[in-house]
Amino acid sequence: MKAARKFPRNTLWLAWIGVLCILIAAGVVAALLVFSKGLVLTNLSDRVPWGLWITIDLSSIAVSAGAFSLCAAVYLLGLKRFQPVARTATFIGLIGYTMALLSLMLDIGRPDRFWHAVVFWNKHSLLWEVTMCVTLYLAVLAIECMPIFARFEWLSRRFPKLTSKMLGLHRFAPILAVIGLGLSMLHQSSLGAIYGVLKARPYWFRPDISVLFIISAVAAGMSLTVFASMISSRLTKKVKVDDDLLDRLAFFIGWILIAYLYFRFWDALAMTYTYEPGRTEGLSLLTQGTLSFNFWIGEILLGLVVPILLLLNKKTRAMPFWRMLALALVVGGMVAYRWDTNLSGLLIVLSYLPGNLAVAYTSYHPSLIENVSGMGILAYGLLAFSLGVRYLRVVNHQEITHHAQEKLVAEPAAAD
Amino acid sequence: MSEPKLNRRDFLKLSAVGVAVISGLKVIKYATASETEAGPHQWVMVIDQGKCTGCGYCTLACRAHNDVPPHISWNEVTLAGQVGEKPVYIARPCMQCAKAPCVDVCPVQASTYRPDGIVMMDYERCIGCRYCEVACPYSARSFNWETFEGPNPAVPEWGEPEVPRRPRGVVEKCCFCYNRIDRGLSLGLIPGVDPEATPACINICPTGARVFGDFNDPESNVSKLLHERASFRLREELATFPRVYYLPSIPEA
Repeated sequence: MKAARKFPRNTLWLAWIGVLCILIAAGVVAALLVFSKGLVLTNLSDRVPWGLWITIDLSSIAVSAGAFSLCAAVYLLGLKRFQPVARTATFIGLIGYTMALLSLMLDIGRPDRFWHAVVFWNKHSLLWEVTMCVTLYLAVLAIECMPIFARFEWLSRRFPKLTSKMLGLHRFAPILAVIGLGLSMLHQSSLGAIYGVLKARPYWFRPDISVLFIISAVAAGMSLTVFASMISSRLTKKVKVDDDLLDRLAFFIGWILIAYLYFRFWDALAMTYTYEPGRTEGLSLLTQGTLSFNFWIGEILLGLVVPILLLLNKKTRAMPFWRMLALALVVGGMVAYRWDTNLSGLLIVLSYLPGNLAVAYTSYHPSLIENVSGMGILAYGLLAFSLGVRYLRVVNHQEITHHAQEKLVAEPAAAD
Repeated sequence: MSEPKLNRRDFLKLSAVGVAVISGLKVIKYATASETEAGPHQWVMVIDQGKCTGCGYCTLACRAHNDVPPHISWNEVTLAGQVGEKPVYIARPCMQCAKAPCVDVCPVQASTYRPDGIVMMDYERCIGCRYCEVACPYSARSFNWETFEGPNPAVPEWGEPEVPRRPRGVVEKCCFCYNRIDRGLSLGLIPGVDPEATPACINICPTGARVFGDFNDPESNVSKLLHERASFRLREELATFPRVYYLPSIPEA
C-alpha cells in the first residue's frame, strides 16, 4: 500500500497489465510452436503422457468450483446475502473453465478434432462424460455471466437494449444453479475417477480419488474467490467488500478442510496395509520419494494443517494478512495434490512380464515450452480477472448487497 | 414479481429439463448402440516361448508392413528371464483384449471391437488425448509425438507398407494385420494357414514360435496347441481376457 502511494495508481495498473500481456504473448508463441512442431517439444513420453498441462487443466477446473457451490448456496439453500460473492465466483468460474479449455487444446495431439467427443459418444468413457459436462457447464457459466458483462459501461451505453436483455437473464439464476450443481458434481468428481477407474495403475485404482477431488475443489474454489475479493479490495478503492461475508466463508472453508483431511487420512492409511505392486511404490513416492516435499510440505503442512489453524482460529481469521495467506495456501495445496496424484500413478511402470513384480521408475520435468505456455494460460486468467474487477466490477459487495436486501424486504411483502 | 409464481415457473422449467433429459437418454441409447456381436471367426495368436530366440524379426517385419516409425514397436520383444541356461523372451503385440481398458476409456470411440475380436484404431477419429495409453496394462500403445517423415529404414528389407502412415498427434498400436486378414478372407484364403492372409510377424518368425488362427475352429493350429499345451496370458489377474496366449518355456530334462 505504501509503495502504491508513491506512484500514480494508473502506472502500477498499466505495468501489471503490461507484464501479463508479455507473458500471454510468450505463451502464444510457445503454443504456436507446439501446434506447428507437435508435442515432441514437451518432455512428455509414452511412459508419462500427462504432465504440467493436465495439472493446469485440473487445477483451473477445481478453482472454478466456487461458482457452483456458492450459486447453490445462494439460490438453492437460500443464503441470499452471499449473492455478491457468488457473482465473483461465477466470473472466476468462467475464467477457470476457459483456462482449462486452453490447456486441453495444447495437450491433445489433434486440437483440430476437439469437437469429436461431442459428436462421437463413448458413454463408457469418463473423459467423454467430463468433456460433455465441461462443455455444457461452460454454456451455463456463460449465461450466468451475461448480467455481469452487461455491467460493462461501454456496452450498456452503446447497446442499452442488449444489456437490459443480458441483465434479464438473471431471472434464470435459480435454474442455472440447479443445472450447474448437477453438472459440476458430476465432472468435478469424474476428473478424479478418470484416474480411479484404471486397473492398470494400482496406485490410482480406488474410489476415493473422486471424493477427494470434489472436496478439495470446493475448498480451493471458495478460497480463491474470497482471496481474489480481498486482494482486489486492498489494491483498489473502487472495490467494496463486506468483510463479514468473507469471514463466514473463510470459517466454512476451514471446516471443509477438516473433512478433506479426514478423508485424506483414511484414504492414505488404507493403502499401507498390504504390499500391492505399484500401489505401495506410488504411496512411498509421496511419503519418501521424489514427491515427498510436495506431499508433506505442499499438500499436508501448508495446504491443510496451517490453513485449518489459521481459518478456524478467530483471531488469525480476522486479520486480513493471515486469512489471505491461509486461502492462498489452500489453493496451492490443491494444485500440489493434482500434480502429485497425476505423477504418483504415472512415474511407476508395472511390468507385464509374468510372475515379475518388478516396478520401474520413470521421471518427468516439464520442458521450457510447457512452462512458458502454462504461464501464458495463467497470465490470461489473471488478466481476465483484473479487467473484470476494473470494468465489470465483479467484486462489489455494496451495491448488490443493498439490492438483495431491498429484494429481501420487498419479497415477503409481495408474497403476502 | 411474487415468489410463488417464480417457483411455479421454475418447477415447470425443471420438469421440462427432466423430460428433455429422459428423451435425450433414449436418443443416446440409439446413437451409441455399440455392442459388438461376436462374429464367426475369433482370431488369436499363440507365442511359444520355448521356440522364441529373441531375434526381433517380428518387430522389424511389423514396422515395414505397417509403416511404423523406428522408435515405435507395435510388437516389442523383451528378455523376460531364464529357464535353466536358456534366456526366455516375451514378444508383446497388442493383446486385443476381450475386455479392453482402452476401448472403455476412449472419449470418442476411436478404439472399438471388431466382430472377430480385433481391437481396432480409427486414426481419423483419435483426438490424441492419450487416455488409452495411460489405461493399457501392457504398454502396447504409442503416441506420435512428431510427424514421421522420410523413408522407413525397415523398408524394403523387411517388407512393403500395406497401410497408410499415421499422422502426428494420434495413438497407434498393433491391429493383428487386420488388412491382411480381410483381404485374405475375400480371396478365399485361411488366416494362419496361407501367409498372404496371416499377420506379418507370424510369417517372418524363423523358428515358428508364433502361430495365428481361429479360436472358433477346433481344427486350427491355435486351437490344437491351446488344447494340447499349458498356456498363460499376460496380467490375467486384471481380467482383460487377452487374445494372445503364451506357451511357457519348459526346462530341458
